[in-house]
Amino acid sequence: MELTVKLFATFRDGRFEKAQLDYPPGTTLANIVDALRIPRDEIGVMLVMGRHAELEHTPAPGDTVAIFPRIGGG
Amino acid sequence: MSAERPSERYSRQAMFWAIGPAGQERLRTGSAAVIGCGALGSATVELLARSGVGRITVVDRDFVELSNLQRQVLFDEADAAAGVPKAIAAAQAVKRINSEVAVQPLVADVTPDNVEHIVSEVDVVLDGTDNFETRYLVNDACVKLGVPWIYGGAIGATGMSMTIRPGESPCFRCMFPVSPEPGTMATCDTAGVLASTVVAVAAIQWTEAVKILVGDREHLNPGLVGFDLWSNDHLVTKSSRAPECPCCVQKRFEYLEAQVTSRAASLCGRNAIQVSPGHDLKLDLAAMGRRLASVGPVTSSDFLVRFTVGKHELTIFADGRAIVKGTSDKSVARTLYARYVGT
Repeated sequence: MELTVKLFATFRDGRFEKAQLDYPPGTTLANIVDALRIPRDEIGVMLVMGRHAELEHTPAPGDTVAIFPRIGGG
Repeated sequence: MSAERPSERYSRQAMFWAIGPAGQERLRTGSAAVIGCGALGSATVELLARSGVGRITVVDRDFVELSNLQRQVLFDEADAAAGVPKAIAAAQAVKRINSEVAVQPLVADVTPDNVEHIVSEVDVVLDGTDNFETRYLVNDACVKLGVPWIYGGAIGATGMSMTIRPGESPCFRCMFPVSPEPGTMATCDTAGVLASTVVAVAAIQWTEAVKILVGDREHLNPGLVGFDLWSNDHLVTKSSRAPECPCCVQKRFEYLEAQVTSRAASLCGRNAIQVSPGHDLKLDLAAMGRRLASVGPVTSSDFLVRFTVGKHELTIFADGRAIVKGTSDKSVARTLYARYVGT
């Protein structure tokens, strides 16, 4: 299934800002994050189609997934 | 000033439907603490002062430097040249902006020893810190004492904010249960930040604080607000309290009880301070070295990363300890640790 994955802030470093990626059916957000080599403890919030989602969530084909790191600067 | 006739100074603000003369009077009798007065803090302090919040406490452990002026809106070249403590420079600026406001500067490191006193004296707390450790500490104190606080963070073009109403909305640990390990998160000093990102986050924080002060709970942000100004993305999440939250559900205030707080200790006779993370840690020194290489000269080995910034030298070990040479001031050492190692 194809998903649109959007990354934010430092998660873009060495990866991408926005990409259409192909995943097997049943892929969870945890699978996506791990495949992108994003350390789970650096994740601030994840959204699927604009809604807050947890690592166990399975997006539907065509969904947009957004992954933000924690934002600590001030 | 009476509730019926706000002064000319606030007339445009008091015309706004959700504030009005009564809301303006609540601002005048209200109080706020801004913890950390860097970029976010100086922007929120200015907004609070201009809008007529009657009493403002400004807490910061750092002093003004030239590299601050691009985004820390309350400070100027004279402050940087004189190295004025940020809390003092902010208070001086507030007095010039609005003499009706009572401002209390506090040049201090926010610690388990003083945080409860700071937050207990105000109606709302605004986050201006640059590190997660202090945010967890503020969260503990505010949840314990029932004081609302507003998280804000900015890096690059990305900003986030969250309004925490103890007992009503998710607290910071509901959203982020575990503190990031020191050295794993980018900071403004290693990844950069746009002034516009900071100002946008500060605008959200000020607006949330004013909603709290005028008593409009209906319109408070329901969860985490985030945006990227460069790529034009915006999010608002609605979140629930974590059923097992150690802080707001189990009432275990681990940061307040200094169980997970970093420690700073003087190294006798060396003009150096050792900062320890306060718990077991295994840093990726290679990644740390790469991150710091954009900031200043770095030398590294399998056992340590050493780099120089200004007159200070930081030696960072794999267990998360850092020895900060060139100062005997623990606040300076903790500031540098927060900036370059990250907490």
